Amino acid sequence: MSSILEEIETKIAGLKTSTTKSNIGTVRETGDGVARIEGLSDVMLNEMIEFPGGVFGLALNLEETEVGAILLGDATKISEGDEAKTTGRLLSVPVGKGLLGRVVNTLGEPLDGKGEVKSETFYPLEKIAPGVIKRRSVSQPVQTGIMAIDAMIPIGRGQRELIIGDRATGKTTIGIDTIISQARLNKAGEDSKSKDYRPLYCIYVAIGQKNSNVARVLAVLEKEDAMRYSTIISAPASDSATNQYLAPFAGAAMGEWFMDNGMDALIIYDDLSKHAVAYRQVSLVLKRPSGREAYPGDVFYLHSRLLERAARVSDEYGGGSVTALPIIETQAGDVSAYIPTNVISITDGQIYLETDLFYQGVRPAISVGLSVSRVGSAAQIKAIKQVAGKVKLDLAQFRELAAFAQFGSDLDAATKARLDRGQRIVELFKQIQYNPIPVELQVAVMWAMQNGFIDPVPVERVKEFQNKLQDFLQTRKESLLASIRQKKQLDAELEANLKATLEEFSATKPVG
Amino acid sequence: MQVKKEVRQIAREMLRASFTDGQLDRGRVASVVDSILAKKPRNYLKILEYYKRLLRLEAEKRHARIETATALEPQITSQISLNLARRYGTDLTTEFAINQALLGGMRIRVGSDVWDSSIRNRLERLQQQL
Repeated sequence: MSSILEEIETKIAGLKTSTTKSNIGTVRETGDGVARIEGLSDVMLNEMIEFPGGVFGLALNLEETEVGAILLGDATKISEGDEAKTTGRLLSVPVGKGLLGRVVNTLGEPLDGKGEVKSETFYPLEKIAPGVIKRRSVSQPVQTGIMAIDAMIPIGRGQRELIIGDRATGKTTIGIDTIISQARLNKAGEDSKSKDYRPLYCIYVAIGQKNSNVARVLAVLEKEDAMRYSTIISAPASDSATNQYLAPFAGAAMGEWFMDNGMDALIIYDDLSKHAVAYRQVSLVLKRPSGREAYPGDVFYLHSRLLERAARVSDEYGGGSVTALPIIETQAGDVSAYIPTNVISITDGQIYLETDLFYQGVRPAISVGLSVSRVGSAAQIKAIKQVAGKVKLDLAQFRELAAFAQFGSDLDAATKARLDRGQRIVELFKQIQYNPIPVELQVAVMWAMQNGFIDPVPVERVKEFQNKLQDFLQTRKESLLASIRQKKQLDAELEANLKATLEEFSATKPVG
Repeated sequence: MQVKKEVRQIAREMLRASFTDGQLDRGRVASVVDSILAKKPRNYLKILEYYKRLLRLEAEKRHARIETATALEPQITSQISLNLARRYGTDLTTEFAINQALLGGMRIRVGSDVWDSSIRNRLERLQQQL
């Protein structure tokens, strides 16, 4: 009790002496979440401005006679003639492990009714990305648990991989699957008490989405017990454009805390198309000059400075990383629109989802030809490299041949074999949502495919075969899976073991 | 208010021409306005409007408003004016006002700078800190 009294005493003592100097201005006009203020001669760019009633703003336009500021919070409390004051502070959000398991808004305030966010550290929203000296190349994998991605388009820790596609093609689902996969791996890592395992914390930033969508994502993550390692930042469609514009930067700040403290984080920006639209609105209301599609001239810089903050830093700086999975929604498959081309050129690769494939039942609807990861196999464990090295090539050849083979029925044996193999790979890569597959199981299944164990199975029963094989391995050959997990590569002994196991499984005639 | 670039440029030049030795000169202001009225260039009303605004902002920079909760003695007001003039230059105009909402102490505003030692300000800061 006495310590509280002392604290208050010192605070009062601090106030007694001082005459405060501040820099103020007068609100000249306000509306659409923006205020124009005369005065404020000492204001800095991006500085927080305090209005009466505890509303804050952010100075974005410093002009000759006035300052244009965007308002955070209730803009209706501000009226013409009000006094606005500089604060000398930059907008900051709480960061740290106290945010795990929470749903917060752009300013880090709780939305989930679970009480205050416990955090003592604050990070500014805008921060310069780590430079060349601090960085090192990407080499550790992010296991998404989606076989097609882990095999063909591997994502590494510190990478920026774009997820792009039309509406309702499963973009968010890939993000959610990745979060669930990380949660399972983190839990297994914690249980095994292994010192080598580096947990990957996930931050899901919902920008301009329906509240119902965010609620659904939250429900899925809670059901899978993934919220323990995740934070959701929600700036839904009903939020102001200002909050939507700032939300990804808040996410980046929260992710950077993990990186600075030697940990790994994954941020999903869902989605940057709506983010660009929110920024366009703010810019137009601030009367900034507009360019192509009415976006302001710095919309490229907006996304490049955001995504540049994803990095993997060298061991001298803690060895942490921030991985970014931005999502872009295209209109009618048009990847050559303004924002999609911008973000494609910024990121280290993209996962392109096709509507046609989605409706053909190939889910996740990943287009192999257009998807790429520029980090490549550096972000794969060796076992996956051994079994999936040629899968992408096989599938690409299959697509070409399949189009060609439609015109004739007389095919030579080699072509037919390639077509058969391709059809089976496509079947193997089909995966239901919220069901990530552990990497050791992926290795075993792909090894079976590569070594011809799946070739005798009719195409329409491949999935059934795969499910039964997975069950068989998980229930009866746990030790084999464990040794793949530990060794991370297939040696002669493991291959012999896999061969024996698959022969044993095939002998049971799983699909008749 | 949407103001054209050309209008802004002319108004700015007019403002620049209104100073002598770094201080606003009433005579020059009048002559600048007269010359515009005589020439009547395109958008001259908007130019004068914008010029007026620039002048107002410039005048505000050279004006001090001193608020207190109770009326000050003449001796203190002259001392304050003198001190402010020493700091901001002799062309500073001063205005004394009574604002009971301050509760006590003094609040001085010069341009966009504010020195606040009022009781109200201290209470507000205390409220924020606690």
